[in-house]
Amino acid sequence: MSYFEMIDVCKGYGPPSARHDVLQDVNLSIEKNEFVAVIGFSGSGKSTLISLLAGLESPDSGEVRLAGQIMTEPGPNRGIMFQNYSLLPWLSVFQNIEIAVKRVFPQMPRRERKSYIQKYIDMVSLSGSEWKKPSELSGGMRQRLSLARTLAMQPEVLLLDEPLSALDALTRAVLQDEIIRIWEEDRRTVVMITNDVDEAALMADRIVPLTPGPAATLERNFPVTLDRPRERKTLNFNPEFKKLRNEVSGFMMDLNQEARQLRVESSIRLPDIEPIDLSQVG
Amino acid sequence: MLTKLKHLLLKIIDLTALGFLEPIVRLCYGEEPGTQVKKIGQFMMVPVLVFLLFIMVWSAFAPRHKTKSGEVPTPAVTFDSYRSIMTFHGREGDKERAYLATGDAREKWLAEAEARLEELKPLRAEAEAAVEEAEAAHQGALTATYDPALAEYNEARQAAMEESKQRIAKLKVRAEGIAADDSAAKGELLAVYRAHTAQTANAKSDYQKLKQQADAILKAKFPQLAAARARLTRIAEEEQYLKQLVKMLSGGNREARVADGQTKLDALRAQYAGAEGAALFPLAKSINSAESRLARTAESAYAKPWTLPMQIIRSVYCVFVGFFMGSVIAIPIGVLCGLSRTFMAAMTPFIALFKPVSPIVWLPIFLIVIGGFFPDPDKHWFFTTLWNAPLIGWLKINPAFLASAATVAMCSLWATMVNTALGVASVDKDHINVARVLRLGFWPRLFKIVLPSALPLVFAGLRISLGVGWMVLIAAELLASSEGLGKFVWDQFNNGASDSFAKMVVVVFVVGIIGLLLDRIMIVFQRAVSFEGSVATV
Repeated sequence: MSYFEMIDVCKGYGPPSARHDVLQDVNLSIEKNEFVAVIGFSGSGKSTLISLLAGLESPDSGEVRLAGQIMTEPGPNRGIMFQNYSLLPWLSVFQNIEIAVKRVFPQMPRRERKSYIQKYIDMVSLSGSEWKKPSELSGGMRQRLSLARTLAMQPEVLLLDEPLSALDALTRAVLQDEIIRIWEEDRRTVVMITNDVDEAALMADRIVPLTPGPAATLERNFPVTLDRPRERKTLNFNPEFKKLRNEVSGFMMDLNQEARQLRVESSIRLPDIEPIDLSQVG
Repeated sequence: MLTKLKHLLLKIIDLTALGFLEPIVRLCYGEEPGTQVKKIGQFMMVPVLVFLLFIMVWSAFAPRHKTKSGEVPTPAVTFDSYRSIMTFHGREGDKERAYLATGDAREKWLAEAEARLEELKPLRAEAEAAVEEAEAAHQGALTATYDPALAEYNEARQAAMEESKQRIAKLKVRAEGIAADDSAAKGELLAVYRAHTAQTANAKSDYQKLKQQADAILKAKFPQLAAARARLTRIAEEEQYLKQLVKMLSGGNREARVADGQTKLDALRAQYAGAEGAALFPLAKSINSAESRLARTAESAYAKPWTLPMQIIRSVYCVFVGFFMGSVIAIPIGVLCGLSRTFMAAMTPFIALFKPVSPIVWLPIFLIVIGGFFPDPDKHWFFTTLWNAPLIGWLKINPAFLASAATVAMCSLWATMVNTALGVASVDKDHINVARVLRLGFWPRLFKIVLPSALPLVFAGLRISLGVGWMVLIAAELLASSEGLGKFVWDQFNNGASDSFAKMVVVVFVVGIIGLLLDRIMIVFQRAVSFEGSVATV
């Protein structure tokens, strides 16, 4: 039995008459200390997948288990980092982390808590911005803060929901390196949702493509066997990386083709009618 | 250092929503002078110019409209009555201080007041002479213009009447010569008579025009006389005030009255010590009543009438009491509505039903309800405690005050309630997710996530509520006869003195300026709690 797993999970929305199945029979097994990247097209149910893992939503059928326990509600042991930061805008950087730390470590003395929070602020290079409000931070800084808050909870599993997709390419690269650097310090279990094959190949131990919705499911696994630390500069010339990228991309493209065909078949056939030209009638 | 100051200034300007000052600060730092000058022109000069234009239009058109309460006051007249209101306030304050003055200060002040009275005597004589002179001049001017006009009118009237008589005489003669069967002549006679009446009416309207012209001369303003009279009134008023002041500083002063009472009491006591037998009883009675009178005098205060500044403070205090009562009710209910759809459904009929009810309806109801709690307010411990309390004792809080405050609360709480409900119900889903991941309980979730997130909307509601409350209060005070700005307006309306109208116009500006200040205060709070975007300032 794996450390963190989804077993035959189904999830759909809407009333029974107009049911929209998002995920169908999803199975995912993640080992302890593994970094898994789930990759998929937009609208394929990635966010639903991570919400299920976090426990923010409960599956219609099937179950999510962490270390053998069935998870039915969210908790600080599965730290989630949202795509749109979800920082509390009325709190400063320090307070945003503090609210989480106070909750997870209620016994921690004041002074110790302060240095503990400072450690995480320093870790994501936000030193000096402790008392700024989120509205005064750039997108990259906001996502760093979100990361620091999630890490400060010391979750057993780290869930990253497209953490970098709202950022520009340069900031994105910097943050990718930073996440990897921090992850390598204690190698927690990570599930990252992304839509970028390069990002997945650079960061993860395993890439799991999500078939396009509706009724998405996880098809195959692509283990990433590249040695760590992975050098961004040389990686582009690494034949193994290239091969992996081509494989994953090709697979995704094929999936997309299939999905499109499926969609065409299931689409409503329009009646074959032509407008009458009244000028010809008379 | 200077840059820091600039940023601080700009931040303060932003926080207090005084955006129009921003270009001045930037101009002082030499930042894009062209743009800043343009902005100053746009956001400062334009409003100032338009306001000046308004003053000019007002000055030009106000005197044209005549009412039963005199002409519509011009800006100058309005400003004069503002000054007279403030003079009255200052003088009443002086009298109060004079009543309580003691020792050397009293003596010194008394000497000053008497000296000023002496100073005024020649001035008064002079002013009286000036009035007489102006009256004479006016009379002279009237004889020069009015008398001839009147004479002309009389002449015209006489002439017209004479003509009419002659025509009638002629008609009578003509009628005598007409036979019974001469219908043509009869018709002619009637036609001529009709022509005669038309002619008479025309003549009448002509000489009445002359009469109107003469009357206009009589009614026309004589600025010299008006000015002389105004000056005399001013001096007479000051004299009156000084006389009262002298009284308050001498015989009517508290210290003097206490000393007087003490002397009388001492005399009675001496008499009592020397008396015996049956004479003792009435003396004992007198000593007792003298003692209690002395104690009352020592505690007494000057019966100061309400002045506009005092009424303003009472009104502001009243609106805040009402606003506070309303908020204490509205915010918790709003939060519950936002949290629970069931509770919202339960409250909806009440909100829908009571929100449109006018303050004019609520006020009498509250007067009766509150009156029910305090059948004898003058002796009720609640009011006596408030009247003896420091700082707010002089406000004389009474059931009418409470009813006005309750009306303010009832009419203003809806905006806060609805906005709070909206703010609580529309907390960002991401923030709720944070609370769920952290497994926050109900209370931490409410106080750490929901309320801070709803706070900007709550304050937007509070701001609207305070504005509504201020408008409602003036009407409520007017109706409840609760001392305040509304009562002032009502008193002026019923008073009918020559400057009452102008005083009401003063109140328009006072109410407007205070409303503006209250709104600004709320904007500062609103900005302080809002985390994204800026707050509308109009």
